[in-house]
Amino acid sequence: MQGMEEPEIAQSRTLRFQRRAMLKMMAALPIAGLVPLSTLAEAVARNSPDASVLPDGTAWKLRVLTPHEWATVGVLTDWILPADEVSGSATDAGVPEFIDDWLDFQRGDLLVAIREGLVWLDVECQGNFGDSFVDCSSTQQQQMLDRIAWPKKAAPQDAKAVAFFNQFRDLTLSGFYTSEMGIRDLPYVGNEPQAEWRGCPPDVLAKLEI
Amino acid sequence: MMHPILSGDVYDAIIVGSGAGGGMAAYSLTRAGAKCLMLEAGEWYDTAKDSKWLQWGYDASHRGASKTPFGPGGFEAVAGGYDVAGEPYTCATGTDWKWFRSRMLGGRTNAWGRISLRNGPYDFKPYSRDGKGFDWPITYEELAPYYDKTEELIGVFGSAERLENLPDGKFQPPPTPRCYELLIQKACKDLKIPCIPSRLAVLTRPLNNRPACHYVSQCNRGCRMGSNFSSPDVLLYPALLTGNFEIRCGAMAREVLTGPDGRATGVSYIDKQSGEEVEVRGKVVVLAASACETARLLLNSRSPRFPNGVANSSGLVGRYLMDTVMSDVTGWIPSMMNLPAHDEDGVGGMHLFMPWWNYQEQLQGKLPFSRGYHVEISGGRRGMPVPGLMTGSEVLLGGGYGRDLKQRSRGLYGSLVGFHGRGEMIPNAQSYCEIDKSTVDKWGIPVLKFHFQWSDQEIQMARHMQETFQQIVATMGGKVIESYGADQQWGISPGGTGFHEVGGARMGNDPKTSVLNSYCQAWDCKNLFVTDGAPFVSLSDKNPTLTILALAWRTSDYIAAQVRTHRV
Repeated sequence: MQGMEEPEIAQSRTLRFQRRAMLKMMAALPIAGLVPLSTLAEAVARNSPDASVLPDGTAWKLRVLTPHEWATVGVLTDWILPADEVSGSATDAGVPEFIDDWLDFQRGDLLVAIREGLVWLDVECQGNFGDSFVDCSSTQQQQMLDRIAWPKKAAPQDAKAVAFFNQFRDLTLSGFYTSEMGIRDLPYVGNEPQAEWRGCPPDVLAKLEI
Repeated sequence: MMHPILSGDVYDAIIVGSGAGGGMAAYSLTRAGAKCLMLEAGEWYDTAKDSKWLQWGYDASHRGASKTPFGPGGFEAVAGGYDVAGEPYTCATGTDWKWFRSRMLGGRTNAWGRISLRNGPYDFKPYSRDGKGFDWPITYEELAPYYDKTEELIGVFGSAERLENLPDGKFQPPPTPRCYELLIQKACKDLKIPCIPSRLAVLTRPLNNRPACHYVSQCNRGCRMGSNFSSPDVLLYPALLTGNFEIRCGAMAREVLTGPDGRATGVSYIDKQSGEEVEVRGKVVVLAASACETARLLLNSRSPRFPNGVANSSGLVGRYLMDTVMSDVTGWIPSMMNLPAHDEDGVGGMHLFMPWWNYQEQLQGKLPFSRGYHVEISGGRRGMPVPGLMTGSEVLLGGGYGRDLKQRSRGLYGSLVGFHGRGEMIPNAQSYCEIDKSTVDKWGIPVLKFHFQWSDQEIQMARHMQETFQQIVATMGGKVIESYGADQQWGISPGGTGFHEVGGARMGNDPKTSVLNSYCQAWDCKNLFVTDGAPFVSLSDKNPTLTILALAWRTSDYIAAQVRTHRV
């Protein structure tokens, strides 16, 4: 039907005009420092000390972890990535939330493996120290971790727990370094539209002796 | 059974599929004045509106990841995947085939890697060269003008290199290499492996009202600016502006309809929203549903005249299915640790690549495989961190936890490189798809059953990839942290995971040994054409999309000429 525009075509044409307007806006801005389209408010909230409070002020609602598992995950992730002079801890960065969400998302073998590993930790701690992992002392917790955090040094009978901890460490690193805090820690520099590609900077070229 | 709805006028052409091949047919035919109707199984998708451009992972569900690799729901502009609800497929025993289906306007062109390489002269006549596989019925010289036009339309960057079997194109200037790419190039120079600017359908100069790239390496999210090639941005919207074009989304094509004289009369499809079957009529039918879906349509289009499916008197529909041979190696490069932080995003793909360099050695019989591969590279600090960025950290760091782990992870960031081989598969008779008569999809359309295997040629090629990449890492002073040996078939990819499946309706000069003639016109049904990857006679180490586009343009020009002179 010639001459009549379907709604989608008209809409997309409007968006194309919006696109051109966006380009003009981009051209007017300095190359660095363009604010990403995600809201600044959310970014600020992510950096708040209590990352388990969502931007709208509500607390994290558990997806798949039980409250006890949640508590254990919190302690474990902070052992793996504590605060240092560069950035906060894993819980500061919202890593337990990431893990709870990710396990809910993936389910399957991963969820089973992580759950079994958390149970193993509690069983071992109960047997050795008379308490679950989260209720053990710092020293006791560290003793447990030292058993399973070093694959080459671990006892053969702990192989499954070593595998669990490798997976859990990977999850923690994933959650941390994809959080805003972690991205700034590395730091990842990017996601900034620019009019020209600047290539390999001279100071890096010099360091690489190219 | 309810009567299907007969919808609308008789169109000049019905086009099934909105990806590269369908989009190009629409672009070309509508400009020639043809009134075209396009049927797309997926929903409308508009990068200007739907792209997750510039979003941070931490602002998205699951950091913008999809549940399965290359699946829907994440930042990648993908709707569909290997598993599509209600659309099963089956595999023969011993076959591990992963069939990617795209279900969105523009198909895979929304998320693809934009790698745009011309087939070279050898790639059209591989059988004449080494006695394996089959020759195309056309030469490079016959397709060259269409490669020219395609590159000028879509915009491809690259450099003139005059290398063997790697024709240079109509290029925009390429972006300069990233830091780690320069290191790789240096090592390749020592090993006498060519490492040259890549060729991607990403603009570095404005073209046809599309702005140049803004270098955030998010091509796979769909480009909100239209700075890379997608079928909607470059082909479909211009076609819509001619006023000769209509697109129906949510339209699952069931079969090609033919009349008593054996000519195609149109297509029947299921309207996904209403569940009703609709018939649309066209003077010409163009199939571009992706190679295997096109083969499926042909096979399911049965009638007394075509008991084995339309255009299938040769029995070759579905046959000689091919996908790209792939194998990867990851290396850790100590000299890349603790570099000054910098923006390494660039375009959404590698700025350098390594084209095949062993043609002469193969001619002299020095290698245990006859065809080539190119190498794509990744790594460094390119692109925002995604989940899994430090998977297997215990391999490099030995394990641990605490301040020490944090410090060392930080130091490790940006020091990995990846090598990805992409090679030619020689067509074999054991690799094909057919209709599985015992299974239908949710609309009652019979599904495909796949048979697929690599031959020793491809396994040996994967071995060469592994050995070469490990050598490059060693030359860079690095350590290999991910590689594959003989027990894992040298890391050769499962068939289908290259997303380059082609074949199934091959072109040829003889109707006994081909489905289509050299203009991708069905021998048995002269107003039926195919413009996706199904006509491919071989799958070289050059990614198929640019050839799909060029071939589709050539086929469309032929259709227009034939219609004008009343021969179709």
